[in-house]
Amino acid sequence: MPDTAMTLQSPLRLALRRVWRQGGARFGAAVLAIMLFAAVYAPFLAGDVALVWRDADGWRLPILSDLFNKSSYGKHHDLLFNLAALLLPVLLFTGWLLRRRWTLARRILLGCLVVAVGWGLCQLPLLPSAKGWSAIWSLRGPATETVAVATEARAADRAVIAVFPPVPHRFDRPYAGAVLRAPLERNPVTGARLWLGSDANGKDVLAYLLFGARISLTIGLVATGIAMVIGTILGAISGYFGGKTDLLIQRVVEIMMCFPTLILVLSIVAILGRDIFVIMLVLGLTGWAGTARLVRGEFLAQSVRDYVLAAESLGLPRWRIMFRHILPNALTPLLISATFGIAGSVLTESGLAFIGLGDINAASWGVLLDQGRSFIRYPWIIYAPGIAVFLLVSSLNLVGSALSDALNPKGAR
Amino acid sequence: MLAYVLRRLLLMVPTFIGILIINFVVLRMQGPTLKDEISQGSSQGGEGQKIERGIASLESFIARFERSGANLPSLVNTRGFADKADAVRWLRAGERRAGMTRKEEAKRARSELDLWFLGRWYAEPLQAVLADNALAGLHGPASVAFSYAAYIPVQAEDYPPSLSAEQKAEQTPDELAEREERMRRLGGIVVRNAELRDLRVSYHNGEAGFVTDDPELAAKRAKLLAWYERHREDFAHSGARAWRDLVVATGFVKIMGGLFTGDLVSQSRNQNVYELIADRWQISFWLNFLSILSAYAIAIPLGIRSARRQGSLEDRVTTNALFLAWSLPSFFVGTLFLYHFCTPHGGRDPWFPNRAMPADADTLWMSTPRYLLTLGWHWCLPLIVLCYGSFTVLSRYMRGNLLEQLDADYVRTARAKGVGADAVVYRHALPNSLITMITLSAGLLAELFGGSVIVENIFSVPGLGTLLLDAAKQNDAPLVMASTVISVSLLLVGILVADLLYGVVDPRIRNRHA
Repeated sequence: MPDTAMTLQSPLRLALRRVWRQGGARFGAAVLAIMLFAAVYAPFLAGDVALVWRDADGWRLPILSDLFNKSSYGKHHDLLFNLAALLLPVLLFTGWLLRRRWTLARRILLGCLVVAVGWGLCQLPLLPSAKGWSAIWSLRGPATETVAVATEARAADRAVIAVFPPVPHRFDRPYAGAVLRAPLERNPVTGARLWLGSDANGKDVLAYLLFGARISLTIGLVATGIAMVIGTILGAISGYFGGKTDLLIQRVVEIMMCFPTLILVLSIVAILGRDIFVIMLVLGLTGWAGTARLVRGEFLAQSVRDYVLAAESLGLPRWRIMFRHILPNALTPLLISATFGIAGSVLTESGLAFIGLGDINAASWGVLLDQGRSFIRYPWIIYAPGIAVFLLVSSLNLVGSALSDALNPKGAR
Repeated sequence: MLAYVLRRLLLMVPTFIGILIINFVVLRMQGPTLKDEISQGSSQGGEGQKIERGIASLESFIARFERSGANLPSLVNTRGFADKADAVRWLRAGERRAGMTRKEEAKRARSELDLWFLGRWYAEPLQAVLADNALAGLHGPASVAFSYAAYIPVQAEDYPPSLSAEQKAEQTPDELAEREERMRRLGGIVVRNAELRDLRVSYHNGEAGFVTDDPELAAKRAKLLAWYERHREDFAHSGARAWRDLVVATGFVKIMGGLFTGDLVSQSRNQNVYELIADRWQISFWLNFLSILSAYAIAIPLGIRSARRQGSLEDRVTTNALFLAWSLPSFFVGTLFLYHFCTPHGGRDPWFPNRAMPADADTLWMSTPRYLLTLGWHWCLPLIVLCYGSFTVLSRYMRGNLLEQLDADYVRTARAKGVGADAVVYRHALPNSLITMITLSAGLLAELFGGSVIVENIFSVPGLGTLLLDAAKQNDAPLVMASTVISVSLLLVGILVADLLYGVVDPRIRNRHA
């Protein structure tokens, strides 16, 4: 006889509880949480803009305004992570307050929505400036409270108090004097330690890895998100309608499954330019075939159930039956395949970057590893990004397989 | 059963064609790199000289394009329906105007380049432009475009091989006559091309647009029109021909035709694509074969072992170790091997070579066993990197299937009858659990004959993977298409064979299809 607390919970919740009981899943989730934290708070951990600054004008927190500075962070996903860094404490607290009212999924979705809206607001021209209305994202020039400025001011005997991030190096700044330094050596330009050494351009590997986590997580989420949306829609249509529609969509799925992705990525990157977002898009657009098959199978099995028949006889519109009635019942396998999909797209992106097809302007782990192979005598450039990819992928795989063990009655052994 | 196979084969056709078309269009969208070459080569210097300087090279480019159909539209060729208005539109699109933005200028430059590759369909419309006195401003570029449209490329390979006196004596009169005829025809084409070259009117394409200031304009134009009258039948249009060319005279059909007749030349390497692939496939095949063999040979016993000792320490250790190996990216492991085993450290020679093929000079005089040993030494690391990733999937699958079978009633019956533990597993449960392993073999065929890009890239294997990567990077449409045709057909056949095998071993499935 199960106790009452258990019977009141939804099957998904029970399954999640089962997942949590597995050591591997807990380890994986912990690693993922640390990576997410490092990615979100990367500017506070590595960067040359001061956290706290005091000069003749008084006290300031320059890092906070620098979070909205396009000249410091060129890529769009950086703004998203910066906003998340600012909003995360508020969101966590609100989520905790609402814990009895709303489900976990709803709270997470709302949090994402808030960050996304904030991202949109930062891109819109809402602030008056010298050049007319402009967006907060493109308003600021280069930051003035940096390591270089502080060193200069101290040399000129001006009283400046500055607290810098633990790694006072920008991830994308090549220090010409510190090329291929071994781990723990000091950067002769700033005097700070290079905890994981520096690469062939003189960039700090640790700072690079921290910002690379942002790229990898974004790629995983965006590429898998696109693939999930396309795959779910096509698979749902295919499985629910059957017949000729099914035959046609299955051909498209088959084309996608057999298509040589490498060539597609190469060509599209050649057409649209080597941008990390283009690569995400291509990975998403080519990776949906498996999802479509999965969802189709689920829909085939579900569409003969009584509740679907009931909904149909009530005259509900078809999209409503498909996406409000059947889809929630097919969510669990989707969740599992999404977890593995994120790991897969992270791997694919690093692999592509490794064979020289990555975005060299983005802090991608694969690009660094490719450099490690060209400069084969400097093992830290191989180990650091390789272990980072391995940790991310293996923790995602751990969580994924724990999920599939817990949600799949057949795999319960 | 036969009906089922036929149905499956028929369903493959649209998939196959779909993949090829998408692949080709994507390759084409990238734009032929040869055109980039031309535009780079001709961007220096003034407009008038550029054309003069570019003549020889443009003609050779047209000849190169002709062989792979790169001068034709990708899928639909509407040039057969072109009239004078279309020709004027093309010419105007290439005209420079004052105050063009950078983007407009780039678009204009592309149109102007395309102008030289319009092909024979545009000869008549361009001639109509030249004949029209009202369009005097366009006569210069129209004459140049006409000369390229009517140009017939002649390659060194087109000529019959030269013969010595003795060889000539051996030929029959008919053969000699045919040879004569061929030489005469080629000579005619060369003369014809030379005539066209002389009839080009020089012009300027500056801020003011096209300015034709050739003093011989009137004379050349009259000669050109007369030339066209002489060769009119070569360019005669008819509705039926235009409709045929709509589909047939396209880059896609040209490349596909070349693929099926075996007469397709790679753009970047100037060699027959099948020869290129034939040179490369063996090393990829043997590497893949050995890696798949060792993956199965190691993973299946592992899976059986951990299924029989389910829940024991050994089972847990293998499962977790394999799980971690699964998450290790092969490019990381490969690079680590390269660093630790193939790079000299502190005066010590590396343990393994960093290239997957020994140099020919070293192996030429080796005895066969010694050669094989050397080869094994070179292939050891690439093989490990290739196969460790598939251990996990295979052994997990094996373990899961075997456990499922060991739970079944017939196993309990066998045990109750007193069959020994080994016999229960190897005689009763194992054959049944191997059935489902067949589904994993669907991709095997394509995997065998395809190269692994990453591993071949790390260990510099001269295999199909590196060939494909280079071809795709250089936008070598014929080579990419050839390898796509091979890999996709192998994949489709593999899927079908796996399905059929499934039916062979499992009567329930066979009956469903019948």
